[in-house]
Amino acid sequence: MNPLRPEPDGLTYLEQAARQEPVAQPVSAPTKEFKYVGQKVRRVDGHLVVTGKAPYTHDIKLEGMAWGKILRSPYPAAEITALDLTPALSRRGVLAAVKLTTGRVRYIGEPIAAVAAVDEATAEEAIQSIKVEYKVLPFVVSPEKAMEENAPQVLDSPNVQKLFEYTRGNIKEGEAQAEVIIERTYQTSIEVHHPAETHASIAQWKNGRLIIWDSTQAIFSVRDQIARSLNIPASQVRVIKKYMGGGFGSKLGLNDHTVAAALLAKEAGRPVKIVLSRRENAYCVGNRPSSRITIRGGAKRDGTLTFLHMKNYTGGGVGRGDRCSEPLIDIYRCPHVLVEEYSVFTNTCASRPTRAPGHVQGTFALEGFLEELAAELKMDPLELRRKNYSDKNLGDTGIPYSSKGLLECYRLGAEAIGWNRRNPVPGQAKGKIKRGIGMATQIWWGAGVPGTVADLKVYPDGSIEAICGTQDLGGGTRTYIAAIIADVLGLEPQDITVRIGDTDYPWAPSSGGSQTTPSVGPAFLDAALKAAKELKAIASKKLNCPAENVEIRNRRFIDKSKPENSLSFSDVARELRRVTVFHGERAGLPPGFAYNSFGAHFAEVEVDTETGRVKVLKVVAAHEVGRVVNRQTAESQVVGGMTQGLSASLFEERVMDEAEGRCVNTNLHDYKIATFLDIPEIITLFVDSIDPRINNLGSKGLGEPPRIPVAAAIANAVFNALGVHPAIIPMTPERILRLLRPKEEKP
Amino acid sequence: MIHFELAQPQNLQELTTFLTKTNGSSTPLAGGTDLMSLVKDGIIRPEVVVDLSTVPELRGIRKDQVGVRIGALTTIKELASDPIIEKTFPGLRQAALSIGSPQLRNVGTVGGNLCQRPRCWYFRDPLFTCRKKGGSRCFAARGRNKYHAIFGGGICHIVHPSDLAPALISLEAKVKIVSPVGEKEMPLENFFTLPSVSVRQENILQPGEILTEVILPPPSPRKKSIYLKFTERGSWDFAVVSVAVSGVVEGQRITKPRVILGGVAPIPWRLPGFESKIEGHQLKETAVAAAALEALSEARPLEENRYKVDLAGVWLTRAVLSLLS
Amino acid sequence: MPADKKRFKKGISRRDFLKGIGGGAVGTALSAHLLPPALASAGAQAGSPPLLSSKRITFSLNGKETTVEVEPAETLLHLLRDKLQLTGTKKVCDHGSCGGCTVLVDDQAVYSCLYPAFRVNGKHVVTIEGLSNGKDLHPVQQAYIDHDAYQCGFCTPGFILATLALLRQKASPSVEEIRAGLSGNICRCGNQAKILAAVKALASQKGGAL
Repeated sequence: MNPLRPEPDGLTYLEQAARQEPVAQPVSAPTKEFKYVGQKVRRVDGHLVVTGKAPYTHDIKLEGMAWGKILRSPYPAAEITALDLTPALSRRGVLAAVKLTTGRVRYIGEPIAAVAAVDEATAEEAIQSIKVEYKVLPFVVSPEKAMEENAPQVLDSPNVQKLFEYTRGNIKEGEAQAEVIIERTYQTSIEVHHPAETHASIAQWKNGRLIIWDSTQAIFSVRDQIARSLNIPASQVRVIKKYMGGGFGSKLGLNDHTVAAALLAKEAGRPVKIVLSRRENAYCVGNRPSSRITIRGGAKRDGTLTFLHMKNYTGGGVGRGDRCSEPLIDIYRCPHVLVEEYSVFTNTCASRPTRAPGHVQGTFALEGFLEELAAELKMDPLELRRKNYSDKNLGDTGIPYSSKGLLECYRLGAEAIGWNRRNPVPGQAKGKIKRGIGMATQIWWGAGVPGTVADLKVYPDGSIEAICGTQDLGGGTRTYIAAIIADVLGLEPQDITVRIGDTDYPWAPSSGGSQTTPSVGPAFLDAALKAAKELKAIASKKLNCPAENVEIRNRRFIDKSKPENSLSFSDVARELRRVTVFHGERAGLPPGFAYNSFGAHFAEVEVDTETGRVKVLKVVAAHEVGRVVNRQTAESQVVGGMTQGLSASLFEERVMDEAEGRCVNTNLHDYKIATFLDIPEIITLFVDSIDPRINNLGSKGLGEPPRIPVAAAIANAVFNALGVHPAIIPMTPERILRLLRPKEEKP
Repeated sequence: MIHFELAQPQNLQELTTFLTKTNGSSTPLAGGTDLMSLVKDGIIRPEVVVDLSTVPELRGIRKDQVGVRIGALTTIKELASDPIIEKTFPGLRQAALSIGSPQLRNVGTVGGNLCQRPRCWYFRDPLFTCRKKGGSRCFAARGRNKYHAIFGGGICHIVHPSDLAPALISLEAKVKIVSPVGEKEMPLENFFTLPSVSVRQENILQPGEILTEVILPPPSPRKKSIYLKFTERGSWDFAVVSVAVSGVVEGQRITKPRVILGGVAPIPWRLPGFESKIEGHQLKETAVAAAALEALSEARPLEENRYKVDLAGVWLTRAVLSLLS
Repeated sequence: MPADKKRFKKGISRRDFLKGIGGGAVGTALSAHLLPPALASAGAQAGSPPLLSSKRITFSLNGKETTVEVEPAETLLHLLRDKLQLTGTKKVCDHGSCGGCTVLVDDQAVYSCLYPAFRVNGKHVVTIEGLSNGKDLHPVQQAYIDHDAYQCGFCTPGFILATLALLRQKASPSVEEIRAGLSGNICRCGNQAKILAAVKALASQKGGAL
């Protein structure tokens, strides 16, 4: 049970890991080393959430707090020729008004001005009274139209711009070697994050310091960015986020409304709260950019890939969109690769990272392409992937992965779905309602960020505080912090008071990109190991035995050779005589390795060929993310990622009226998210392994991975059922019916 | 920010007196699930709202010699869990259970479901001043129209969102309407109006008139009914296409069939041609499908909703065949 | 609250009201005189209900009798969150499309964002704050923790109340009944599979009324 208990070679796993010696394959998890880590641990703060007491930013009310509202552009493109705040300021109950922009606005919802008033309704009425004169300009909201020659120019530069380029080998050479060549185009639609809690901020100036409560995934980014934006020292800003109702990437940086709240609070001389409406969430705070990816590639008859050529046009509004080529560049062995990615600018708000940015789109295309290539080669699609398996990154041309459990994911997933039940030839299923099985592979990063720091405070009475400026998005950060510390110090998770979500605490990275667990977990493990060492030294003196004989468990320090010789945790802690802080840090990554996580999803679907309805019957997720820290919350991550992916595969799409430049589905009825009745049986599997190099915990992040291959696996299952690939998400009945309509009838 | 004034009549007498005196300037409030949403978005701005929930005569389901009377304020949940409905009008129960979500069925009412406003995303969005809101154009005609009408559109391409309406019309339901000048009864079929009649509203109700009751004919043991709804999502979705069929079934024959499509037109869309084609014949799938195809040849789909024609054909066939089986 | 009070007396609603129906020339002082002739006489007539611009309601809130003044257009959600500071009930879509604001009114799950506050007069309202006695969690709350039936937790209060309503209606629902019964709530984190596990466990427990 003791995490420091030596393995047969005399070193604990943790000590082995600290040496960072090369290990060929991931070692399987030593389940005995920890009592809680790797097990199912209930959330330590569950009671707060289920009783409605967890303080979300929406719920916070400060003394004397005013409400802010933002006036936003109703036009996709316009020149503001006059802006007069006086009508708002002269209204009763209005406390402050600020201008946020002058000049040009480039999308509906771009902030123009903001008002603070005694209540929300007064603020809303006040912004409507602001006088703005616009010179309305031509606009374009669809990437396809934006690419046309005479399209209105969105920015001060062309609408189509090179985003990314990559070459290895020479595709001409690869083409010459290929025995089968196919070319396919895949598209993904714009998906809106729509976190349950809309974006919200409260700003308060207290003794010259700006305090911000923000519904954010990145308190330190907000602190640093707002300090720059207001030209004040970062030390004079404190950002707090205790609980947040979802973000999925849309809350990774500073928002305009947060700046507005700070400006208004200063002017009004009281705290100001701004909560965005659902409509503002649909229009103003980002989305997953669209992609239109064409892959041309070839293989030898035996399935050996010889070249891949990918071209992507990504539509990220006034933003640059997503690079989607990473999976294609990396996962499969392929000597000749050419990637060309272009941003297409439109008059819509800038896209933002959306759970696994670029990888969801790129995987949909790459894995769809492989499925169709396998059909062309008359090969088992899983076999095709195994055939091109690589142990080094950049398609086997780079450096070795620190660990890679993908083959095991394939094996586990195929078994759980019943891979042999699929149609050997796509489209072979009989009847009006056809079944199919498909799969897709996933790669992501998620090594965590070296330099993440964490403090472990041991009080002389034996109580423990764990302090870090990280944030919990719902992944259960507080719980695994408590579990790691409890394991090392022989305590119970509920013995640890975890404090996070405050920039006055030690630095941690943004919570996005699967970074939190592999950054924060190792830092706390480091701190706990340091604390254990010092406490054991004290205990060894008091127990009169060598330090290596001291074991900590069940809240006691025990002399292993004489178990009745023991001391309570607090008896030992008391000897510290003062509150003692143990600083932990997430160490650096050993060079020479690529750090990635892997997984594979398998889906079984039923397609009604008369109605075009796709019903997902079962999905299996198999992931290799090194050591699973808390199986309870890790399973939730996977289930959640799959469900979101399913929702995006079948329903989610921002619908724009191109003539008016407006979104027509800004509410949560018309923007369709999967309901309980759309969600099938989900099987979650983990490859039990430890990445010996990635960090002292051996863990990789799990936020992104389960979101990545879902759409690809479902679409490939549809391909297996129908014999024709849907090639676009969401796979609505309308699109499936169009796909199945005889060719001559297609419009 | 949103304000209206409230009247709470305590009985039908008070309600009619109030309606008479206010001369149609008040807005009736049933369950509120649609009205509150419309008010929040500023799509309607009622000045005075009359609460119907305080009028006891508007609630409940009872059987008399005329048939089965369903008070307009009966909730969808009450309707779906009523034993008479379950036993004798299965199609109506299926329609009721297909509505929205449990929370909406707990609060939403039969009258409210029949009088709800369309879900057209242009109509529901305050930024679009469409014809239905007094503007000069229908944005759906050349805009985004995958959920819009394939029949009866013309100047406005909404579809009627009610699930109960097609089911009730197939069952030959009547409605009772109370107005300042008294009360009247009419077939529910005649209650709904096309945009060409009046683009600002979806039914014949004049200001001051209130739908108080739905009257179903006496239950007949030989009559069967079905309601089949196609939605994109598994729950809380309006019909892309729905079909209500009722008739007397003997073996593979239907007599007196009544077939109504939902989700395809600004009003529940009855298919008399299809009804006469399938009436009395020994029915096989191919014949039903052929009749459906013919009935749908009159559809006028828009750019993005052609699939609804295909769906309607499939759904018609499946509904009739399920009724037979 | 003072701001709300003010609006009752003076107000936008009445001004807009007059503007809306073009009755601006009628009367100036008292409320009844401000009405157009038809409405004014309606108010005066015996047997006709008075026009209210606010209503004092008394209802049971988590078992406690509560009296409060509400406006006719005010939603139950607004009353709970903004006036009574019961912030456990969440505003997510604000249009009855997601279930985040679900509370129980006379044991039935309703979307409080669409539910007129005045309608709870004389009724029993239960919010997430009313489930636990402060010491022990309600079995539904405990099941949500045990099965990790949430992630960000924002939709959780609504889901817990929808679950409670479902189980009070039927103590042992089938899997399909659970899925249908909770289909009026959306979990954006996508944790429905875990919620299903929690409710299945509750459904299989014998005895112990919820």
